[in-house]
Amino acid sequence: MLLEINQLYKSFPQADHGQIDVLKNINLEIHEGETVAVVGQSGSGKSTLLSLMAGLDRQSSGSLRLREQEISEMSELKLTQFRAENIGIIFQQFYLMPHLTALENVSLPLEMFGNKDHQKRAKEALLQVGLSEREQHFPHQLSGGESQRVAIARAVVTRPSILLADEPTGNLDNETGVHVANLLFDLVQTTGMTLLLVTHNMEMALRCSRQLTLQFGTFQ
Amino acid sequence: MKNPSSLFWPKLALRELLNNQRFSLFFLFNLALGLAGFIALDSFKESLDVHLGKNSQTILGADLALTSYVPIDDQTLRKLESNFPESTLSTQKISLFTMVASKERSVLVQVTGIEEEFPFYGRLILEKGGTVQPQFIRQNLDMRGDAWIYPELFTMLDIKEGGSVVIGEKSFPVTDSVIDDPSSSLSSFGLAPRIYLGLSDILETGLLSKKSRVSYQHLYRFPDETDLTVLVGTLKNKIRKFDGSYSKIRVLTHKRAANNLGRVMGYLNDYLGLVALIAVFLAGIGAAYLFRNYLVHRFREMSILMSLGATRQQTYRLVLWQLGLLGTGAALISIIISLGILPLLEILLEQFLPRGFETQVNVSSLIFALVLGSIGSLVFCLPVLTRIRSVQPLRLLHENTGNHEVEVSLWSQALSYLPLIILSWLLSVWQSHSLIVGSTFVGMLLLAILILGTLAWGILMFAGKLSQTSGNTIKRLAFRNLQRNRAGAISCFLALALGTLLINLIPQIYQGIQEEISRPDDYRIPSLFLFDIQPEQLDHLQNILAEENTQLNYISPMVRARLEKVNGTKYKSEFEEGLRTREQEREQGFRMRTLNLSYRTRLSDSELIVEGRQLAENYDWNSGSMAEVSLEERFAERMGLKLGDLLTFNVHEVPVEAKVVNLRKVKWNSFQPNFFILFQPGVLEQAPATFLASLGGLDKTRRMYFQNLIVNEFPNVSVIDVTRTVERVLKISDQMVLALRFMAYLSIMAGLVVVFSIARHEVEGRLWELNLLKVLGAKFSDIQKMIQIEFAVLGIYAGIFGVGLSLVMSYGIAWWFFENLWEWTWQISLASVAGVTTLSVAVAWLATRRTLRISPLNLLRSS
Repeated sequence: MLLEINQLYKSFPQADHGQIDVLKNINLEIHEGETVAVVGQSGSGKSTLLSLMAGLDRQSSGSLRLREQEISEMSELKLTQFRAENIGIIFQQFYLMPHLTALENVSLPLEMFGNKDHQKRAKEALLQVGLSEREQHFPHQLSGGESQRVAIARAVVTRPSILLADEPTGNLDNETGVHVANLLFDLVQTTGMTLLLVTHNMEMALRCSRQLTLQFGTFQ
Repeated sequence: MKNPSSLFWPKLALRELLNNQRFSLFFLFNLALGLAGFIALDSFKESLDVHLGKNSQTILGADLALTSYVPIDDQTLRKLESNFPESTLSTQKISLFTMVASKERSVLVQVTGIEEEFPFYGRLILEKGGTVQPQFIRQNLDMRGDAWIYPELFTMLDIKEGGSVVIGEKSFPVTDSVIDDPSSSLSSFGLAPRIYLGLSDILETGLLSKKSRVSYQHLYRFPDETDLTVLVGTLKNKIRKFDGSYSKIRVLTHKRAANNLGRVMGYLNDYLGLVALIAVFLAGIGAAYLFRNYLVHRFREMSILMSLGATRQQTYRLVLWQLGLLGTGAALISIIISLGILPLLEILLEQFLPRGFETQVNVSSLIFALVLGSIGSLVFCLPVLTRIRSVQPLRLLHENTGNHEVEVSLWSQALSYLPLIILSWLLSVWQSHSLIVGSTFVGMLLLAILILGTLAWGILMFAGKLSQTSGNTIKRLAFRNLQRNRAGAISCFLALALGTLLINLIPQIYQGIQEEISRPDDYRIPSLFLFDIQPEQLDHLQNILAEENTQLNYISPMVRARLEKVNGTKYKSEFEEGLRTREQEREQGFRMRTLNLSYRTRLSDSELIVEGRQLAENYDWNSGSMAEVSLEERFAERMGLKLGDLLTFNVHEVPVEAKVVNLRKVKWNSFQPNFFILFQPGVLEQAPATFLASLGGLDKTRRMYFQNLIVNEFPNVSVIDVTRTVERVLKISDQMVLALRFMAYLSIMAGLVVVFSIARHEVEGRLWELNLLKVLGAKFSDIQKMIQIEFAVLGIYAGIFGVGLSLVMSYGIAWWFFENLWEWTWQISLASVAGVTTLSVAVAWLATRRTLRISPLNLLRSS
């Protein structure tokens, strides 16, 4: 078992001193190599679930275990390290560092942890996403699709156990979106990586091995 | 997992800065301009210290001097010289201030008698004779009885080379002029020009016995390996054991002599430094504002880094590297700018500098600049850095729910300002060499910022209210912008208001002093001031003046004495340890002074008792009661004396006890003969005394006439032309104020750069909405008008409140330091408000005109 979620709750305080439960009694198991799509309407709690899985936020109660380690029990420092080693994240808006080239963006997570092969592995990752000719380009010189491919290369370059993607084609036109989705699924298939995809796009969700619908904070 | 390479974070920091060139350039230039004045001053001070250090032996003309106001007898001298190494060389010098006369004119000079070995270091250079060799002094001064004079005396005495001057009872031929004197004090600001005579000749003038103050100096040159510190200690111990006047022999080392010379410049430097510190402060405000905006825009990149595995500490490290790089860069630029300021300072302060002084940039100044740049930028931006705590990678996810704000506690915010306050305080105290002045300065600056900040807040709130009621759309939008962009508006307001405060404060204080010195209320400035009148000369002098239909005013006896005991305990006249602050220096100066006592039946118009009662009429030696004494208020404070203290004076070896019965405030600018210590009549009448007096109501011709008359008849009596002295004091203070103003203008320039940076930044931050206004039909002129209204409001209020605060502060300073010499010069105030408003609008126009002209289409594309 790669990921195991039990009775997970997440609530946020409100201005009127009350609180809103965004996630309620979530239970989920994801196996290694599985591709899972979480769909749901805006405000259903998809991104909150993703943020908890990525260790970017802490649950209010319940358990969230990745590789048999309880994420909520980790210190911030340990969690940061654990995330860097095990989790790759792809954002809707790419979030590349504007002052770094494509190659530097991809090698950044490796370089940050003193990996001596960062340059070589980043080049390999860019090759995998078909951008080896654009490695010296800066984000503003890349199209939306290219930027997202660089972001994908950056997410996979550390060879994480699980790839978390938050609406990866949400900022792209249809044609480019399909192209990027193809690339993502090919990559996951080739590397045997686990994928958890949060999306509105049912077409893309259906390409995953499992689809979960989140509504009012619980799986339907 | 390993740590990244050591260059990873600095490289990443540099890449980010290079990618944000506009911010980096503004930050660098802003901080560099603020630092430049400060760095230039530091280099200037260092150069002065180096110059004085290098030339200290030349300044004294020896390694060590024993000085006394009475001749040191052979026996005493032998006791002291027995401690010196065998091959020590010695020579003697006697100097005194006196009047010299030519046929037509007379002038106060410093007459110095020297022997052939003088000086041991450096050489006198004569106009005709060139560099003076030892035997030349013997042949010309000692044997032929010539006089060498400073060149300005040719004009002052209206004589030519070969003419003669009368000094005391003897006439001396002037055979040459001194064009370089390494032992002279300052380039042009000396009390009186100098005349050199042979040592035997000065004895023949007959002045030594009639002058109240003659300096006898024995100069020594030691072998190179001599340990001066040990020697000085031994000499001081021996001198302490001497009785009477010999216990007051001073041991002057060449280093101390150089320090004494640098003191005038040191005081001026202190205040210039404080003014320059305001420029640093203004630049700091601008830098902090710019950095705040930069940081907020970098939050996303920080979140990305954190989502990729960077810890929060690592993001702090990245930002700290950026601040370090910016600070170092700013310091390097400031060094370059300071190279341009240094020669200007040299020109502005020429009058106060030693001869042969040259400015240079020292390694220590460079290190200081780099440290101040990097630490300063960090400390100024520290309050902003606390915002990094609110960086949340969670925000990168597209659908964000709930409130993720991380509240920074009030304590953390307050604590983040603490290093800034401590650094400012340390810099101020270090700069002013005074705990009191430095602390007061920082206190006043913080108070000013607090008051102005509160006022700015109020104005912005008021602007918000106006935005609801104003009928004009452009005005409404301008007022609304002011209210919502509070950080920028308050930073601009502070920069402008503090600049105005400074620019208005200096002339405001100076104006008051100038007014009082030149035309004091209620007092008539005397024309001539006479001192060293012997008791037996007084009647004769009065008779001669009566024949000329004039009379002496304020005739005051002056008795020299030393303070031996206070309340029965020996009074400590010298600090054992080194002097660290200006207060200690001043107190030491006061304590070492030989005191001048006087006595009066009643106080003069310029005196007022602030504590205690009037002195009793006449002292009765048989009454068994204690004699009564009155002390000047500040003198008592500095000497550590208070009402009711029992003082024991040594008056020409006779102990005289007296009780302090009152403390007086003295209006020194009355130019009347006033004293720190006044005895009741009947105590000092039998003690050897000289007299002071003044003559009033004389025009220029009559002043010279009476001066010549007195000098011819009474060669030992010294005469000071008060009008000329006042003119000279004003000229010197003009020069000082010019230097201070220069630093103040540098500060206002730093403030304007802040306004420029903020204006540009604000407009760029609002591009989208400005563009929207254009799309909705607003004309370019409307938008420009809106920006101008915003900066005009800031300028006018900053001007008014800056001026207002400067008036309050100048009044406070005048009341505290200058006995309330205050006068409001409304012209300066009005000009300041108008000037600041115009500059604010003009700078904002300059900063924003290009951005505002960009077509809305371009803006839409770029956004």
